[in-house]
Amino acid sequence: MKIALNILQAILIILGAPLVRGIVARCKAFLQRRQGASIWRPYYDLAKLFRKEDLVPPTASAVFRVVPFILFATTICAVAFVPLLQPAALLASHGDFFLFVYLLAIGRFFLSLGAFDGGSAFGGMGASREALISCLAEAPFLLSFVAIAILASHADIAGMVSWTLQQNFFNVSAVHILAFTSLGMVVIAETGRMPVDNPTTHLELTMIHEAMILEYSGTRLALIEWASAIKLHAMLALLAALFFPWGMASGASVGFVALSLPLYCAKIGLLIILLAVIESGMAKLRMYLVPDFLGVASAVSVLAVIFTFLAKR
Amino acid sequence: MQVVFIEWAFGFLLATLGLFVPIILIASLGGKTRRLAIALIVGSNVMGCIVAALCFWRETTVRLDFSAFSPFPLALGIDRLSAFFLLLICTVAVPVAIFSIEYFDLHYAEKRRNWVWTFFSLFLASMILVVTASTGFAFLIGWELMTLLTAGLILMEGDSTERRHSVFLYLLMMHAGAAAVIGSFLLFLPFSHGLDFASLRSAGSVMPQGIRTMVFLLAFLGFGAKAGMIPLHIWLPRAHPIAPSPVSALMSGVMLKTAVYGFVRFVFDFLGGGPSWWSGYVVLAVGAVTGLLGILYAIAENDLKRLLAYSSVENIGIIFLGLGVSLVLLAHQAPLWAGLALVGALLHAFNHALFKSLLFLGAGAISDSTHTVNLEDLGGLQRRMPVTGLSLLVACCSIAGLPLFNGFVGEWIIFRSLLAGSVLSDTRAQIVLPLTVGILALIGGLAAACFVKVFGVAFLGRPRSAAAEDAQEAPPAMRVGLSLLAAACLGIGIFPGLFLRPLVSLVQTLVPGAGVPLETVSIARILPIAAAIVLGAAMAAGLLKRRERIARTWACGLPGLTTRMQYTSTVFSKPIRFVFSSVYKPNRKVDRLPPDQPYFPASVTYRSVRTTSYEKSIYRPFVELFLSAARGLRRMQTGNIQVYLLYIFLTLVLLLAFLRFQK
Repeated sequence: MKIALNILQAILIILGAPLVRGIVARCKAFLQRRQGASIWRPYYDLAKLFRKEDLVPPTASAVFRVVPFILFATTICAVAFVPLLQPAALLASHGDFFLFVYLLAIGRFFLSLGAFDGGSAFGGMGASREALISCLAEAPFLLSFVAIAILASHADIAGMVSWTLQQNFFNVSAVHILAFTSLGMVVIAETGRMPVDNPTTHLELTMIHEAMILEYSGTRLALIEWASAIKLHAMLALLAALFFPWGMASGASVGFVALSLPLYCAKIGLLIILLAVIESGMAKLRMYLVPDFLGVASAVSVLAVIFTFLAKR
Repeated sequence: MQVVFIEWAFGFLLATLGLFVPIILIASLGGKTRRLAIALIVGSNVMGCIVAALCFWRETTVRLDFSAFSPFPLALGIDRLSAFFLLLICTVAVPVAIFSIEYFDLHYAEKRRNWVWTFFSLFLASMILVVTASTGFAFLIGWELMTLLTAGLILMEGDSTERRHSVFLYLLMMHAGAAAVIGSFLLFLPFSHGLDFASLRSAGSVMPQGIRTMVFLLAFLGFGAKAGMIPLHIWLPRAHPIAPSPVSALMSGVMLKTAVYGFVRFVFDFLGGGPSWWSGYVVLAVGAVTGLLGILYAIAENDLKRLLAYSSVENIGIIFLGLGVSLVLLAHQAPLWAGLALVGALLHAFNHALFKSLLFLGAGAISDSTHTVNLEDLGGLQRRMPVTGLSLLVACCSIAGLPLFNGFVGEWIIFRSLLAGSVLSDTRAQIVLPLTVGILALIGGLAAACFVKVFGVAFLGRPRSAAAEDAQEAPPAMRVGLSLLAAACLGIGIFPGLFLRPLVSLVQTLVPGAGVPLETVSIARILPIAAAIVLGAAMAAGLLKRRERIARTWACGLPGLTTRMQYTSTVFSKPIRFVFSSVYKPNRKVDRLPPDQPYFPASVTYRSVRTTSYEKSIYRPFVELFLSAARGLRRMQTGNIQVYLLYIFLTLVLLLAFLRFQK
């Protein structure tokens, strides 16, 4: 039953990912007083892309061709670390957050390589910008996890979540607030949302993620789009699990699940609205202001780690 | 029975590499005997792997004593630590030797090849001597030979003024380092019976605190110079790139690790940990700075071999960071975690040996086929050299620390030991160690960016020069060498458990009370599962039906793309160089020709030079001081014989006075 629930939540993250994207887009449309597309739009897009043929640049090698599959597979593997309905996941008790972060890094590494293989200027440009953002985001990403791990004295994600679950909601320390802030900023940078990257742009001067996948089409593009939707969903789910785990099923009965699923939907809904408000409320940062943005995230995460020391006393 | 076999096999290994092969090669000039010699080198190294594996996996200690044949105590022995490093040397030596068969044939004239192979064989023997020595003399002989033989191999590649200057700098730094190592050996003498390792070990614990501190500092300086710790690294990016590629592979991959061996032997084995609480922090800080600056310098390089040399500096930084963490944890009485950090550092040393020698061999294969290692002239090699490309892709993923490749495992273990710092009772460690996670993460992120650049610019996209356009796949033996190393990287990356178990036992002999950390068990369990999930998901996605058509790359509606429109290596690293410009302090220069038409120039040249220089800011003042002292001493040298007689007389009087008043 417990394993079944683990598999169920992994499937939920994977299949629900396009929906999360659709809702974010719809919320943004609402905030910008536009009509907006249906929240099911990303599913139609994926279905259409899966039916189309793949166009491959003449310069491309085998690397270009396998990148989407590696990206998709490693993202799926990272999903197995994210607790959703219960404070456990398929791999969450053996693997720790380092493995989670670095599994996502595999996908990013290969996506940057695929970008180079098109032989145009855009691919290299996207890869170069992505390299800057991801290398600066790595430290705050890990440090905010470290802060929580120190409080929970567990490095595995399941242990961290169950520890938080046992705490009183009104007892949250400064560490949680700081770690949530910095992890939230990192999520924005890592998933390519405003103000770091604009997911809807194709303007040469500003695009980062879109520049890297410019040469992909058909099935391969579908896999990349799906993988980045899964990454967004997994990161939001992780934020919810680490900082607001209350309401997760403590047992594996049907009743618990029936309670935790709507609660999860509410939590992720709030995070989506928060993301949409941030995205609509801020202008995209100039490329060289992004290091400052991540510098703030790093400083906040360092503070979070230092505050764990005070919180323990 | 088994011990006898190991003794004989080990003796055979040393005799072959150090004696038979050189004799065969020097005595004859023909190609057939050379083939025999090469077969002997490969065969004896395979045997060395077996010997090392037997001693490493099962607790077998071997001792060979040659003191009867030499004027000073000369003995060799293999304990677990030696076996680990012997395994490292022999594992890397086999593929490198196989790779070199064709490489040396292509690069050297018939007559010179025998000499190159002779030096190659002796170089391997000297490194084996260093890690298996069990007396100070044997260690120092190997240590010195290692330096001199590599200098010979570098000079055999060519003979220009610049090369001689680099070799001189190399020898100078190595001998300064060796002086420090000799000094730290000699400091033991008043407290031990001799310079054999057993008596050094027993002396290490009874020595007074001051002497222990001196030994530690001298060993750190000496081995740090050999390993290329910043600021003692200046020789490394000069000497490593100019050696023949297989030799660069051995220098960066293996020879640097002998310094790690020496440091671990001195500090963990002889001294039983750092002399006081700060020693671990010193090693940790120097390691962190070395790692960060090393990778920042690497990413700004366009010459592939120089880039790899700087990246070796970075990895040495990570290894010493791990050793520092281990010392800090040891000083705070947390042997379990200290053992974990030591496992991480040693494993990273082994992993770095594999992927760095693979990268240098790959650079050799590239330069063989395109006659350049400048990234700006490469591109599109993956389609032309698929096997070389694939092996280098594995190496790039490994060095970037991605999971399922070997580089990740060592770094992960160091990460976990840093996290353990939070459970200590000491405030300093509680804050410093967890924050170091951030530094290591930054180093890892920059390394990933650096090797995206290496692989992306050299192997993907369009060729940037005619030479890259006509590149040919490397010949078969080279491909075998490359693939063997790539397979080893993947093997350790997915199944680290096989390797971690004996490594944990090794660490238990160095750190009393180390135990078996749960982390090593959990990582060994999770990685195969993760690999299976990734492979399964990728295959499932691969089953999706799809049609493929070749179509031109989007060129904004222009007729077509040219090579010049691609992103280059320089511009790829530009954002990172911009953000970290305080490290480089670049001097940029843009020349537009003709100068009177600034808006429609016929040609634009751009240069950006790093102005921070260790030679100028750190070494120059020392040299000045030294020279002025020498000038002062010159006043004593009058050339007048009476004055010299006076000196002798005064010395005699002083000595007599000293003897008189000593009582």
